[in-house]
Amino acid sequence: MADLLVQFLQNTGYYMADYRHCIMIIVGCVFIYLGIAKHYEPLLLVPIGFGILVGNVPVFKGLGLSIYEDNSVLSYLYFGVTKGIYPSLIFMGIGALTDFSTMIARPVLMLLGAAAQMGIFITFLGALALGFDPKEAASIGIIGGADGPTAIFLSAKLAPALIGPIAVAAYSYMALVPVIQPPIMKLLTTRKERLIRMEDPREVSKQEKMVFPVIAFLLCCFLAPAALPLLGMLFFGNLLKEAVVTERLAEAARRPVIDSVTILLGLTVGASTQADRFLKPESIEIFILGALSFCVATASGLIFAKIMNLFLRQKINPLLGAAGVSAVPDSARVVQMVGQAEDPTNFLLMHAMAPNVSGVIGSAIGAGVLWSFMV
Amino acid sequence: MNGLDAISANNGWNIAALGITIVFTGLVLLSLAISQLHKILTLWETKHLFYEQVKEVWQKKRTGVADDDRFLAEEQPPEVVLPKSLKKSADQFNILVLHLGEPFPLPKLLELAIKRGLDRPHSTLNHLIQTKLIVPDKLGFFHWNEKVYNCISEPEDE
Repeated sequence: MADLLVQFLQNTGYYMADYRHCIMIIVGCVFIYLGIAKHYEPLLLVPIGFGILVGNVPVFKGLGLSIYEDNSVLSYLYFGVTKGIYPSLIFMGIGALTDFSTMIARPVLMLLGAAAQMGIFITFLGALALGFDPKEAASIGIIGGADGPTAIFLSAKLAPALIGPIAVAAYSYMALVPVIQPPIMKLLTTRKERLIRMEDPREVSKQEKMVFPVIAFLLCCFLAPAALPLLGMLFFGNLLKEAVVTERLAEAARRPVIDSVTILLGLTVGASTQADRFLKPESIEIFILGALSFCVATASGLIFAKIMNLFLRQKINPLLGAAGVSAVPDSARVVQMVGQAEDPTNFLLMHAMAPNVSGVIGSAIGAGVLWSFMV
Repeated sequence: MNGLDAISANNGWNIAALGITIVFTGLVLLSLAISQLHKILTLWETKHLFYEQVKEVWQKKRTGVADDDRFLAEEQPPEVVLPKSLKKSADQFNILVLHLGEPFPLPKLLELAIKRGLDRPHSTLNHLIQTKLIVPDKLGFFHWNEKVYNCISEPEDE
């Protein structure tokens, strides 16, 4: 009887826990706090935060409980992450939610979305310089795309062991966009530039919006076929939205599908951050590189907007360059916020959505390109 | 291996340069395609007008020189008599058109006219279209008809 009790006690989390589990549980609680109390990306941080708690309850190996054990419930749910299923489904939902009309009205703003992808490739170089192998470096670099699903997709393909730290870094920094971006925006632009008003975009016809996803899909995926799982689903979702006759499917994609997948993705990514796998020096390097990539991406967009202004007759507000990082719609909101801090009557949100959504396309192409180089 | 050596050893510079070039190429291609999209769709929607134009030209070619002469005679713009005030407005609109370049979208011209404070821009524009000083190109844009403009004369009693 006593032996049985001792055996039971030795199998409890209280007995098996060490300081690393405590650290991760605190991290999970911070995520939940930031999501609920500070409203930083609550739909992502709350599931990830709780997932971190789930993944860091010490369990007896062999019971089939851990996410990394075969046949455990969590391992089946994690299957969608490791095989890239969840990111693709999330992209379909994003497509069904996104209105590309501001981008169609002013295609020149798409270049800002391309410029911000410099963050991906500069971080890739930084990761190589720190000694990561090329596949790991590519997965870390994609954090600069500021696109959680893309980062998870690429790291699942190239560096599955790093999914946890990469996903947590990507989503943490996406949540911290309102904190990271404004100082860089103010540093790299003058007040006069921040006051520039944008011309109203032309009206975009329904036909244009319907034809756009088909043309964009064909153009991008013929150029970078490896981006097919992400861009294919993104533009398919958008076609469902714009086709009108498929409104029921669009509604499913933009609500139940994306919500269910976000829950599963957040929870399992959080659960994959088990202390023994997560608390390593590489994770700290990934976090530093992730922060650097966000800063570089923001700066690249801003500087490119200023360069464009040297050639454009109708000047653009360089703040829009910061929206090129594809954290939709947070970076566009930050542009609006910083612009309105200078002039409360200047509305930049609508214009900022153009580089913002083109950033999503750009980061997916970037992921496809890196994947094809590494295979 | 760390630092720049690691980047060079793993072909990092080339991958980064090529990667960003491909991303830019993709988005530039896409932006070029969608910048032309509305023109292609307008052409598609007005394809019957396009067919009619082609048909007209084809018929003119078939009917020979005699008809060509008749066509040229028909094409001679009639002398247009405009009130003095409208003649002045036509001159002002001509300057705006030169500023916009051809072909120009009509709303843009109207917007510019309002911005410059031209007198009764809506009705003047309507008159200019009726007198065929401003003619549509059937692709959604408009042209300034120089032939008609050169034939404008002012009424003597005004």
